[in-house]
Amino acid sequence: MREFLLAPLPTGKTPCREAAIVALDLETTGLDARHDRILSIATVPVRDMAVVLAEAWQASLNIDGDLPEKTVVIHGITDDQAAGGRSLAEILPQLLQRLCGKVLLVHNAALDRAFLDRACRQLYNVPCLLPVIDTQALARRQHRRRDLPIKSGDLRLYSLRERYGLPRYGAHRALNDALATAELFLAMAAEMSPTGNCRLRDVMTRWY
Amino acid sequence: MDIELIEIREFLARHPPFDVLPAQVLDQLPRNLIVRYLRRGSAFPPEVADVSLYIVRSGAVEFRDGAGNLCEKLGEGDFFAGDCHLPDLPADWHGVASEDALLYLLACDRLQQLRDAHADFSRHFSRSLNERLRHAVSTIRRTYMQDVSVLGIRVMDLVKRPPVTIDAGCSIRDAARAMTEHKISSIMLLTDGRLTGILTDSTLRKRCIVDGVPADAPVADIVKHKVTTIAHDASVFEALMTMTQLQVYHLPVMDGERLVGIVTSSDLSRLQSTNTAFIASDIRKAQTVADLAMSSRTLPELQLQLSNASATAFHIGDALSSLTDAITGKLLHLAEAELGPPPVPYVWVVGGSQARQEQTSLSDQDNALILADTAQPDHDSYFAALAAKVSDGLNACGFSYCPGDAMATNPQWRQPLRKWRDYFATWIDRPEPKALMLACIFFDLRAVHGDATLLAELQREVLKKTRNNTVFIAYMAANALSHRPPLGFFRNFVLIQDGRHNDTIDIKHRGIIPIIDLARVFALSAGLPAVRTVERLRTAAASGALSREMSENLLDAFEYIATVRIQHQARQIRAGRAIDNFVSPAELSELERAHIKDAFSVIKDMQATLDNRYQLGRFR
Repeated sequence: MREFLLAPLPTGKTPCREAAIVALDLETTGLDARHDRILSIATVPVRDMAVVLAEAWQASLNIDGDLPEKTVVIHGITDDQAAGGRSLAEILPQLLQRLCGKVLLVHNAALDRAFLDRACRQLYNVPCLLPVIDTQALARRQHRRRDLPIKSGDLRLYSLRERYGLPRYGAHRALNDALATAELFLAMAAEMSPTGNCRLRDVMTRWY
Repeated sequence: MDIELIEIREFLARHPPFDVLPAQVLDQLPRNLIVRYLRRGSAFPPEVADVSLYIVRSGAVEFRDGAGNLCEKLGEGDFFAGDCHLPDLPADWHGVASEDALLYLLACDRLQQLRDAHADFSRHFSRSLNERLRHAVSTIRRTYMQDVSVLGIRVMDLVKRPPVTIDAGCSIRDAARAMTEHKISSIMLLTDGRLTGILTDSTLRKRCIVDGVPADAPVADIVKHKVTTIAHDASVFEALMTMTQLQVYHLPVMDGERLVGIVTSSDLSRLQSTNTAFIASDIRKAQTVADLAMSSRTLPELQLQLSNASATAFHIGDALSSLTDAITGKLLHLAEAELGPPPVPYVWVVGGSQARQEQTSLSDQDNALILADTAQPDHDSYFAALAAKVSDGLNACGFSYCPGDAMATNPQWRQPLRKWRDYFATWIDRPEPKALMLACIFFDLRAVHGDATLLAELQREVLKKTRNNTVFIAYMAANALSHRPPLGFFRNFVLIQDGRHNDTIDIKHRGIIPIIDLARVFALSAGLPAVRTVERLRTAAASGALSREMSENLLDAFEYIATVRIQHQARQIRAGRAIDNFVSPAELSELERAHIKDAFSVIKDMQATLDNRYQLGRFR
């Protein structure tokens, strides 16, 4: 954890191509970080504005107690699979190692950050601070800039992907969603700066 | 297995060449990929450090040549291997993402490892498109050979018992007794152990009962001594064609000099997969045009059955042309029976696909009459009546009148040999557009009925004139370039030269006719008598008019495209629709599209060579 907190962070001038970015997605039992649990975590790095699938990573967590039926329906993760996973204490250091010194890339960051933050506080009693690129926030910003009305559902990961002509993936698998977010980010960054010289400050939504 | 990258795995598994990789290799493959995104308008391939194979996941990439002409367009599932030092596209072509594109990159060294480990996979990147095409053609041929269908069966497989024979010196009664005993409809006669004749039920009926030859007479007196036989390892198809062409029902089967059995037309008819034999025998027995029309109505069904039996386009063309010949011959017999014998010798010739034996069911009729030079003007009424009967008969049988009036009913195409000589001399010396159009019909002629020497003589003289006649050949070559193949496919469209899309490909005019035209140019320029496209290409290579490699490539391309057409028509016949030549890309598998595209490239190459050789730019 110490290592994680001490790692130097990129500055706003850093070109996107040179930034070390990690796309992340969590699947959880619900939307409330205080009561719900993390079921699985997946990350995939983005380097030089390319998604490196070789380093894609994913882990299932074992949780005590029955899974709410709704969660099973959404994620397709059954009790048996969850029971086969490992504990949060085992997984979190591995995750932090992957996020160390990186810019986090998440769709709808608030939710995932809340879960991560709670996990860090539980285990290490410190907050989880990370610079964040949130593709949903980016999309909202773009909609506003162009004065486009935002209808419900417009800012969902898979609606946005469709708008950018990206292929359909089966949703609600942590690694699929992390990859889907990474690809969406590449598409949005390419749109914002067609010349390819995007800088972190153009896309960043949060610095810690 | 890492099922979490399953989306990418499934995508790869759907697209050649990755579809041939074993499951466990496919499971791991997504982890070898890098994902990139190219904004519309960006250069392709992008300037990045690692050299890779590019797979288009979504979006599109276009390539244009130095002059800005669209040459190639890649869509979902297409790949670009140019950066891995694999021959792909000419160097002066430049690429651009024509739509926002999501790309999967596979490092070249990893690609090489996969190629080293999997020969099937590697073949897709093989050095030359020739190799790819050859492999595709040998695959369709292999399917045909292995298919447990009528056409794959050897004649020997139909022989159920040792031959029943009798000494040629025996009486007719002895022979009839032996036939009754063995319950057979024919018996073979031996003289000193050699096959010297065959006695059939119909001969017995005709000679003994009708003509009254006594039963005590030697059997040798009533049999025909010229016996048509077939080799034991010949295909059933050959047997069928022999019976149809020679109008015999019984074929003794020989292993070299040794008689090993007999096949009869009913043996062949019993094979369920085809009824060629039935149709052929119906045609033989027909007494009226209406009878023939009944038989010809079954031709689309026959085409379907042969196609189901995995026959290649060549075999189907053979079968249909033979039956069409038989119908034509029968119509001429019927007409002669009605009009009386012809006043002077003549030959009935057919043109176009029937002449080249490349017919599909129910094509238009192209025909002509060449009369002996002894013909007098007042003989024309006889031949006009003959032509009208045959042409109307063919039309009643589903072979529609030729829209260009290239039929013997047209007085222009019902002339003595000397007049035909003049026609050809004019066409060859003054190759005007009209002449070139006619050339496509009348430079492909075959005799179907009558005195074939009349046509042979004409052809000999024509070829003498065309051979090495650079001016005429240049005009023919320019004409041969008027039908160009499309660039390839893009999504479910056919991509054509100016970058537009078509919903379907006219596979006849854009794939088959270009090759037929090229083959004709080579045959005429080298003075070769062959009429079938396949034979023209083979003999052109043998004569040196065409390189052996190019000849083989064109043969492969022709066989592949023609077979795709046959399969397309089979689907239409099955669905009860009228057949046509418009193939939709959606009907084709990814692999078929890739092979057809290779076949188009062969045509384009040859057209470019011709364009160059005869400096055809000046004709446009």
